[in-house]
Amino acid sequence: MDKQEDMERRLSREQLLKVAAAAGGASLLGGRVDAAHAALDWLNADSGRLQVLDWAGYGNDGGQAMFAQYVKAHPKNKPQFTYMGNESDALAKIHAGLKPDLFRPYVGWVKYFAKSGLVQPWDPKQISNFKHLNPFMVKAGQYKGKQYGIPDDWGFDAILYRSDKVHPKARSWGLLFDERYKGRIAWFDDLNMLTIAGLYLGFDKPWRQTDAQLKKSQKLLKSKKHLVRLIWSSETNLWEAFGSGEVWIAYAWPNDWVQMKKKLKVVYMRPREKPVAWVGMFMLLKGTKRPHLAHAYVNAWSAARSGKWLEDNYGYGHANTLARPSSSDLLKALRLTDPRAVTEPNAHLDRDIPRRALYARMWEEVKAS
Amino acid sequence: MAIADAGSSSQRAFRPRRLRLDLTTPTLLGLPLAWLGVFFLVPIAIVAAYSFDVYSLDPGPHGFTLTAWHDFLHSSVYLALFWKSVKLSLTVSAIIVVLAYPLAYYLALSGTKRKYILLLLLIAPFLTSYLLRVLAWKVILGNQGVVNTFLFWTGLRSPDHPLSQLLYSRFAVMLVLGYIWLPFVALPIFVSLESLDRRLLEAASDLGASRLQAFRRVTLPLSLPGVVAAFLFVFIPTLGEFVTPSLVGGTSGYLYGNQIVDLFGTGFPDWETGSVLAIFLLGVVAVLTVVFARFLQPRQVVAD
Repeated sequence: MDKQEDMERRLSREQLLKVAAAAGGASLLGGRVDAAHAALDWLNADSGRLQVLDWAGYGNDGGQAMFAQYVKAHPKNKPQFTYMGNESDALAKIHAGLKPDLFRPYVGWVKYFAKSGLVQPWDPKQISNFKHLNPFMVKAGQYKGKQYGIPDDWGFDAILYRSDKVHPKARSWGLLFDERYKGRIAWFDDLNMLTIAGLYLGFDKPWRQTDAQLKKSQKLLKSKKHLVRLIWSSETNLWEAFGSGEVWIAYAWPNDWVQMKKKLKVVYMRPREKPVAWVGMFMLLKGTKRPHLAHAYVNAWSAARSGKWLEDNYGYGHANTLARPSSSDLLKALRLTDPRAVTEPNAHLDRDIPRRALYARMWEEVKAS
Repeated sequence: MAIADAGSSSQRAFRPRRLRLDLTTPTLLGLPLAWLGVFFLVPIAIVAAYSFDVYSLDPGPHGFTLTAWHDFLHSSVYLALFWKSVKLSLTVSAIIVVLAYPLAYYLALSGTKRKYILLLLLIAPFLTSYLLRVLAWKVILGNQGVVNTFLFWTGLRSPDHPLSQLLYSRFAVMLVLGYIWLPFVALPIFVSLESLDRRLLEAASDLGASRLQAFRRVTLPLSLPGVVAAFLFVFIPTLGEFVTPSLVGGTSGYLYGNQIVDLFGTGFPDWETGSVLAIFLLGVVAVLTVVFARFLQPRQVVAD
């Protein structure tokens, strides 16, 4: 692997010398400006393996179909993966010295990372599939008019329940706090639980709760924690507990519904307070040595073919509006024909939490209580 | 003159030996000490620096502060969670010491020829992965697990009402921790009992002590260092345990160790508070070790 990288670097230097010589010659002979531009492009050519920091299941561990187009075009620069457990983990890894070219936080973190100075905006012109991406998601990836996030996978935070065991009183997030199902409920291990509590309590800005509101949200979660069997942090953890009948009601993602409906009678409920939509956003690290390769990689992920594969196999939606899954159930559940499915009036698109550290601390206190 | 010569020649004769000693000792001690320094003390110092905000994950301005320590010491949540973990660890350690003692006693003092085979059987589970051993309990304790299936079969419970508290509960954490650490407890007690001088028991018997009296006045006091060591072997690691609670503990089995992991990893990284919790745990464990170390000295047997 090292030898291959060295060879690529050597080849790249040799090519650069030739191009520099050609460009110099062209300018001496009064050649066209285009020649100099072409030479500059060559000078900017990336080398070495593309470094991707991504979630499990999105790399060489099952996600190959979604970047196959990139590998085909760049067989010498295949991506190398490091996995992130969540955005917090990615942040810690980057601070600890990991230097990926790109990584994938979710939409609620776009502003945080854009402001952090760790990332740089993308050049949408280099992404030919960009024009097919859902405009609402594209907008959510912008900060100060620049495209910091390229949307790809998306889905909802909603409620999954066993229809043979559970009879909700209302289509509401309140089902996660229903006393009738003590010991049968699973929450998700994320500070977003405070947002969900805020939605349930009817706060107008659950992502920007006041101190008093946050206290109420936290109090609700603390008072209902005794109903909760499990606070899941990985989908396999949830599937195991749900599949074996340990829990009947869960905060869940579309893929969980896809997996569970294979053997159980389940409903994926959109609460009246509306589900929360999340969107994966590729972000480009500042100072990356392989910006062109990173753009090519994201372009491959953004293709309709990749999107269809993601929808068919993972049960998530894809930002490419041309991508359509084989399953009509999934098409209906995700409302894939409606670009507004992820935003008002259908859902709350997840967003920046200005006081994220405080939310995190309060959520940790709920778990520790 | 001759004496002086003899003295100087003897000094010369000792010199190379002394030189060899001087070189050997640092060589033998140096590497492990350096290892301990680089991979134990320095990381602890770094974690401590994070707890005082001397180091920070946040690239913004920061400097020495006691804020995180102040917040921690005034937080009822974290201290309550620590106390919950202490109680759980104490209970687990005490129960398995009580359970392991008769086992070790039988192995060490029964005179059975198969004692080493039995000992091997006791430690056999160590040949499999820790994770696997914990996960296997999910199969046993789950709603559709071995225990519940048996209860359904006997008619003691209906399939609609399984014993749910077996898994994802504090009970599950205690049970699995007890199972995992039982051999660690049995071994030190076994060693202390096996090295017991049997003539003391004969002497006790000759002096008219019953078997119970001999056990209470001779065997037990002399095996106490092994019991204390065994207790510490369990109590210290289980106090910071996070793998078992995260796999079988559910909401009610969430412990102090899980909180440390989560502060470093989930939600939003709070290395400062996480470091405070970690250093506090380390401090408590260090103090306990020093206190308990007093009991590790062999005790005298005192006759009335």
